[in-house]
Amino acid sequence: MDLELEIKSLCKSFGEKEVLKNISFTAQGGSALGLLGRNGAGKTTTIRIIMGVFFADSGEVLMDGKPVDRRKIRIGYMPEERGLYPKKQIAEQLVYLAVLRGMTKNDAKKACDRWLERMGMSEYKNKKLETLSKGNQQKIQLAATLMCDPQIVILDEPFSGLDPVNAMILKDVIKEMIAGGSVVLFSSHQMNYIEEFCDNIAILNGGKIVLSGKINDIKRGYPRDRIAVSSADAEKIVPFIIRKMSGDIISAVSDEQDRNTVFVRLKDPAFKGRLLSELSEQRFDIDSFRVCEPSMSDIFVEYTEAGV
Amino acid sequence: MKHILQVLKFEFFGCVKTKSFIISTLVFILLIVLMTFLPGLMVSIMDSEKSGGGGEDKPIIAVIDNAYNKGDIVKKTFEAAYQNFEIKLDAKDKDELVENVNSSRYRFGVIINDQLSFTYITKNNTLTNTDTQNIGALLRDIYRTVKLEEQGVSPEKTAEILSAQIKSETITTGTDQTKNFWSAYLLMMLLYMAIIMYGQMVSQSVVSEKNSRAMEMLITCAKPSHLMFGKVFGSGLAGLTQLVLITSTALVSMKTVSTDVLPDTIRDFLNFRPETIGFALLFFLLGYFIYSFLMGALASLASRSEDLNTLTSPVMFFIVIAFMIVVFAINSGTLDGTLMTVCSYIPFTAPIAMFARVALSDVPTWEILLSVGVQLVSVYLLGMLAAAIYRVGVLLYGKTPKPGEIIKLLIEQHRTNKMFKAAKKK
Repeated sequence: MDLELEIKSLCKSFGEKEVLKNISFTAQGGSALGLLGRNGAGKTTTIRIIMGVFFADSGEVLMDGKPVDRRKIRIGYMPEERGLYPKKQIAEQLVYLAVLRGMTKNDAKKACDRWLERMGMSEYKNKKLETLSKGNQQKIQLAATLMCDPQIVILDEPFSGLDPVNAMILKDVIKEMIAGGSVVLFSSHQMNYIEEFCDNIAILNGGKIVLSGKINDIKRGYPRDRIAVSSADAEKIVPFIIRKMSGDIISAVSDEQDRNTVFVRLKDPAFKGRLLSELSEQRFDIDSFRVCEPSMSDIFVEYTEAGV
Repeated sequence: MKHILQVLKFEFFGCVKTKSFIISTLVFILLIVLMTFLPGLMVSIMDSEKSGGGGEDKPIIAVIDNAYNKGDIVKKTFEAAYQNFEIKLDAKDKDELVENVNSSRYRFGVIINDQLSFTYITKNNTLTNTDTQNIGALLRDIYRTVKLEEQGVSPEKTAEILSAQIKSETITTGTDQTKNFWSAYLLMMLLYMAIIMYGQMVSQSVVSEKNSRAMEMLITCAKPSHLMFGKVFGSGLAGLTQLVLITSTALVSMKTVSTDVLPDTIRDFLNFRPETIGFALLFFLLGYFIYSFLMGALASLASRSEDLNTLTSPVMFFIVIAFMIVVFAINSGTLDGTLMTVCSYIPFTAPIAMFARVALSDVPTWEILLSVGVQLVSVYLLGMLAAAIYRVGVLLYGKTPKPGEIIKLLIEQHRTNKMFKAAKKK
């Protein structure tokens, strides 16, 4: 059975300041949930409540419908602010953290070797952490997070500072965790990664959930009235559309960066078919014709622009 | 509990494996071993040199006797006092003596001007040189021997009378300061240094965990209070280990080495009494806990090590004051005065004050028990307070909070915890 992590109406204040206002969302095992929000929106507080570092003023964290028992559920957390001992040997501190999480010393040692191997870091086993490059330290941090074979994985900006090769290794590992059925919470400001990994998102703004759900549904929920036409005849297409369909469109402009693309905004999404048939009748040389979905960045900006 | 033990192990081994711990322990042990064994070693080397030298290379003391004209008595008396020297009586005059002393052929020269005055000629004089006193005493002996001989007393009889020894015995009913003053003083210094050092180590380690954000990971693995107790216990155990190593080295080497070759000063310093060591270790633990809980809690409020000093300096102030009061009391002999008695029951001064009194004075058992009791209770209360501050502090970054803000945070946290527990019961 797949795991299900449900966050139910969390509220939390620090002093006078209300940090979380009735936060709810659900994350499924075997998929990743993107937890988004601007700086100070309440992501870290939410994560810390899930981890059991803070108590919520009200609300619950449920695992498969029951209050989460942190002694039984293994949670791996990679904080945004990387945190390990710079002056201690790598294997030593990895084993220490795993033992604190409840592994036996032997299992921890084995897991440590396995994960260092997986990250291609075996040769650094007995080195001090501070001697490693930033990217390699990041990999050690990920190993520390995943060593206890967590059922819930929380990754806060896992890709910051990684070169493309290391990012690739990390991606593979994260995909593996998702395929293995873990609940993955993924927080990042790099929207391309969110689109790559996450099926679901929850956007926090000012301590409230302003948007949550499946990325596909959210995107489909936008009016599908923007059409992008790619064509070598772009220059001819713009005046043609304006002349021919002036009653049905709001605008038709060629892209400033890419001269071969024309953006058309329809008055009604239903006019899409007519546009397509008009263009093909004229036998324009068309490479592609698609509905422009909003990107994650667009959605994020739209929902969080109001400010914190 | 399991977490405390795991953190304790990590911190303990983390500490004893550091270069500074190993080196400082080794330096102390080496120092003690050297101090106890070196004098004996040097004596035996000197002995072997003496026997091997055959007497020809003995340094020379030249004496010109212008008063007694009794060469044999003068020579015998000098030889008895300066056994490792050759005594020469055939020097011609002062000039020759000065010249030979200056060229280091003679160690020093003595001119007996008349029966009760002499001139001492040496190349370099030092502050600790006791030759003039010695020679004065020798001259007095010679004078007495000669005068008594004139009265018909034989030189042998005179020697016997002059060398008569007086035996004495002191019965001390309380604590004998003459025997253990310096060793107790040394232990008190060690105690003071160890409390400061290990207290600071705890605060350093807390702030470095915060600064490196290792705390972010740790806090998700174990409760903050467990992290703190584990850390404090672990470092304390390391401190105790170091003290036990140092003091037991002193005990063992003092037992091994024969005490009569040891200079009195060294014996005074290192002749620890086992029960005093026991008290030192006990008061170390109490003082260490009192101070390290405070230091650790305060350190948890700092985000960077630069902020640490401002936060912990009031605590350091306490312990320095305690130390100064005790040193003053020892020097002025008011160990059992009102100030010291009061200090023995104030948790921040008690570890050092009570130790000094126990080691150097005669304190009734009930007073010791009361002081230890007060300290134990303080350790418990401070531990609880420290755990509460720590819980709030470890995730606090940015500006160091003011005392008022800390209290506010503590109260608020207490409230949420209560609410949470109540909700859980339901």
